Amino acid sequence: MSAPEIGWLDRTLEREARRRRASSTVRRRRLVMLEMAAAVAGCIAGYLLLVDHLRHFEVALAANILGFLGVDRISGVLGNAFVVFGPGMEPVVAEMSGSCTILSSVLALTALAAVALRERHQALFGLLAACFFILVANQVRLVLSLLAGRFFAVDALIFFHDWIGSALNFAYTLFGLLIMIGLTMYDAQLAEQDRSGRHTADRPAAWARPGLGHRVPVEAEPKAPRVRVAAFVHRRILPKALSRRLAQNRERRRIDYRVGHEGPGRRAEIVRGLAAKGLSVHTATLLAVAQYETEPMVLDALADAVAERQWEPLHSADVLALRLWARAWLMRAPQQRPSTGRLIAVTGAGGPAGVAVIHALRAAGEDVLALDANPDAVGLRLAGHAAVLPRADQPGYADALIALIAEHRPAALVCTVAEEYAALAPLTDRLAELGTRTWLPEHADVCLDKVEFAAALHAAGVAHPMTAATPEEAIRVPGPWVIKPARGRGSRDVMFADNLRELAHALETVPGAIVQTRLTGREFTADALIDRDGTMVACVPRWREETRGGISVQGTTFTSDAVAEAVAATLRAVRHAGPANVQGFVADSGEVTVVEVNPRFSGGLPLTLAAGADVVNTYVKGILEPDAKLPALSFQDGLRMARHFSEVFYPAEETAAPAVTSESELAR
Amino acid sequence: MNTGVPHQAGHGPAARDSYRRALATHFGVLVAALLLFGVDRTLGCLATTLNVVFLIFFFRHLGFAVAAARWAEHDVNAPLVGIETYVPTIAVLVACKDEELVVDGMVAALLALDYPPDALTVVVVDDASTDGTGARLDAWAVADPRLRVLHREPGAGGGKSGALNDALALTDSEIAVIFDADHQPESGVLRRLSRHFRDPRVGAVMGRCVVRNGVESSLASTIFIDYLSGYLVNEYGRQALFELPAYGGANCAVRTSLIRALGGWNPDTVTEDTDLTLRLLLDGYRVRYDPSAVDFEEAVLSSQRFWKQRYRWARGHQKCLRDYWRAILRTPHLSVMEKVETMLFLWVYHVPVLCGMGLLLIALHAIGLGNSSVIQMVSLSALLFAGPFCELAVGLVLGRVERRAVWTLVGFIPAFGMSIMTATKAYFEGMLGTTYTWSKTARSGATSVVADAPELESVG
Repeated sequence: MSAPEIGWLDRTLEREARRRRASSTVRRRRLVMLEMAAAVAGCIAGYLLLVDHLRHFEVALAANILGFLGVDRISGVLGNAFVVFGPGMEPVVAEMSGSCTILSSVLALTALAAVALRERHQALFGLLAACFFILVANQVRLVLSLLAGRFFAVDALIFFHDWIGSALNFAYTLFGLLIMIGLTMYDAQLAEQDRSGRHTADRPAAWARPGLGHRVPVEAEPKAPRVRVAAFVHRRILPKALSRRLAQNRERRRIDYRVGHEGPGRRAEIVRGLAAKGLSVHTATLLAVAQYETEPMVLDALADAVAERQWEPLHSADVLALRLWARAWLMRAPQQRPSTGRLIAVTGAGGPAGVAVIHALRAAGEDVLALDANPDAVGLRLAGHAAVLPRADQPGYADALIALIAEHRPAALVCTVAEEYAALAPLTDRLAELGTRTWLPEHADVCLDKVEFAAALHAAGVAHPMTAATPEEAIRVPGPWVIKPARGRGSRDVMFADNLRELAHALETVPGAIVQTRLTGREFTADALIDRDGTMVACVPRWREETRGGISVQGTTFTSDAVAEAVAATLRAVRHAGPANVQGFVADSGEVTVVEVNPRFSGGLPLTLAAGADVVNTYVKGILEPDAKLPALSFQDGLRMARHFSEVFYPAEETAAPAVTSESELAR
Repeated sequence: MNTGVPHQAGHGPAARDSYRRALATHFGVLVAALLLFGVDRTLGCLATTLNVVFLIFFFRHLGFAVAAARWAEHDVNAPLVGIETYVPTIAVLVACKDEELVVDGMVAALLALDYPPDALTVVVVDDASTDGTGARLDAWAVADPRLRVLHREPGAGGGKSGALNDALALTDSEIAVIFDADHQPESGVLRRLSRHFRDPRVGAVMGRCVVRNGVESSLASTIFIDYLSGYLVNEYGRQALFELPAYGGANCAVRTSLIRALGGWNPDTVTEDTDLTLRLLLDGYRVRYDPSAVDFEEAVLSSQRFWKQRYRWARGHQKCLRDYWRAILRTPHLSVMEKVETMLFLWVYHVPVLCGMGLLLIALHAIGLGNSSVIQMVSLSALLFAGPFCELAVGLVLGRVERRAVWTLVGFIPAFGMSIMTATKAYFEGMLGTTYTWSKTARSGATSVVADAPELESVG
């Protein structure tokens, strides 16, 4: 746009801004006042135009009725007046004035229907019925006042017409209004509340129009009318094609409340089904789902269905509203879990298990205090709070931990390093005094000592590779071999030997080595969570397809009863409770052999979490509510994981000053 | 915001005790006119004036009925926007005096309100109850620590306003939401009421009250329909056409900073709600009305109680007109039309007095006095009923009440007669300055049954 054009635009906008514009409220008020003025003008014009015709019509009608009744001495021959011969045969001309006709009442009701009820089609029928009633009532009034003049006295005619008649006029106009409104209102099937305000429509509470009916049990169900006029007309009178077409129109505007009474899964299914017929078929029901539904699963189903049907012509404003809603729903900002307000401490924040635990806790809205011995541990940069501790096997660990816990007061402590259990166990009471709960396995040592572990599994009859702890015994173990430290961690110091020379070399190299037969078959790891009472809450096995440095980098979840049974038997054998990962092999024959158990979360935990088994937050629930029964967790079979590197960046001086203890310092 | 009107800090303009001189002046003018112009001409002029007034009120009611019939049905059920993300701190305040029959239902409903617990405080004041109200409240407080109970000593004074002011002192929430003891709000009320406070000009928000015990008597059922039209049509229409709905004293929210700046609720009036509405308007704030923020309350069951309640409303409302009309005419915060509507709103409880006068003129007309009205007297009768009937009829349609309820409208004819008497009595007693204090509405409690109310024994 060129500069002069912009100048012109600015000037125009400025001029418009200066001009006093009526607010929307003023416009609404003007609209209503204009309509009322038009209604009044319509009434006056209608009165002037029709009054003479109506006087003639009503006089003729009343005269005919009297003739039909066989009453003599009353005649309507003058057109707009009656000639009445009283009891003494004295003639009186009773003129039918404009105010004696039904015109003012009829015009008033018509005007009311036109300005207030015109969007309700049934009001037209109500208006016609009300006008008919008023006509009949006015004829009764006329006939009775004429009869009073004919049989009593002329004064009686005047008294009856002026005073009693005015009261009657008021009464039948009021009744006419009631008839019109009554027919505009809803019958018991379509109404939402009865006359005492009890809800009768059976709308699901979540779909209710606010305040339409107090939800109390209504003893007597509203009875269906004996004669269903609409049903009769549709079945017997209307051609089938027309009836079907009308039904389709009705369905488009009708909300099917039954949908709201179903469970979320079924609702999503119904919504997909309804939308599949076309958005213009059950539009009102679909729009009601968009308006009232709160279950993301159902809303996703509706939005996807709307997105799939963008070719459909925009049949109505409601379909457009659906499209706009679906657009907003699919573009919504990612939902952040509301904070639980709790702080959870996580040790071993530098390891892959620690990182996975921190991510899972934060995703659930927990605030995290990350702890690690290494000032460069990545988890320290991923949590809201972080601190560096001495290693668990170094002096000063206990005091430093207690001091940190006293400072931060986390609600629970999650330990992701099994070797820390021994140092933590004596501190649990002091931690509890500071308000920090823990849930440490009591028999972790059985798992950490591979000799003891082999003995326990042997005693329990769980398949385990033959194990030797001394060079003498090693000779009896069939090769090829795997040699590893009796108390090792991850895959550190693990060696393989195919012949006796290599075996002897490995035994010299690996400190405190044990020797096992190297197994063949598919290697698996199962992440498990055992409740305090020994119930297996979760068991998520995955094929260990590729590992680097002992960490699973590629894997696929699978289900196997044999593996689940072996895992359960193993954990029973070592009397474990809490998180664990069980490693082993499934031989080609299908035999499951368990190699080792780590009594902690595994490095491959993200796959278990992604498969739907939130063992981390379930474990935290178990820590915080020791008496609660933990819910069994299911998982998605056949989910595959490929891992990638991710980075965090922080100033180098943070490593030099390792005691990062507050969020503000982290941010800096 | 500046106060446009030089009124006292605290409780509005200084209230006078009696208006006997004004009443005597009215009477003197009438007598002088009768003497000067003769009975027929004076009564004729009076009748004409009344007809004009009734015509104005008829079109006002009709306008509300038209606005409501056109827009309210969609508005009541409109989608809510951003109620999850805007959660100002709220204090729910309830004053109870001898409410043993209904207090359980009320507390259960309050504890079921959908609002973040850390942003919600519930304070129930036991205003020196002599029945088991205090003990029941303590039992609830033991069972649920979210509830705070404040016991007032006998003679603490101030009635409902005093109790609410004491409760307000206990909280530092941004918004106070007030309920009465017989009320049971729907769970979404707080989010619906509070959403309007996003606009800083909004000082108070009124919700919709619905009668829940219509099943108990035909009077209660009539009041149920009266409330339908009062809230779905009249209050709605005032907002739609003038942005001037009234704050109603229960099921309503107010900014605590404003109510504190105004010196709290006014203990010198028996309708503290209308009083607060006017003080907010005069300070340049707006009151909003949310027809979808619903709570259920009990209607009175006997005509004696009905009389007392309506007398209190008429007396308080008429007093507000006498106290505030000058300030309303002078305020810079209202446009001319808004001033007109506010005056008409305050005139509402004077209209039945004029209706009574109209009926008197009709009676005089029947015996041949005052025959010279420009507009025929008889049309009075139609206008007396037509406006309110339009509102009632539209209320029934909007409330989607079953068809046969339409005949309940006939029951309003005696109710109109009663309102003529209560308003006339309130007018003369108010002008003469007879003493009147708050009279508590008796409850039935039949529709206030709670399944899991705590046992009293748990208090010890």
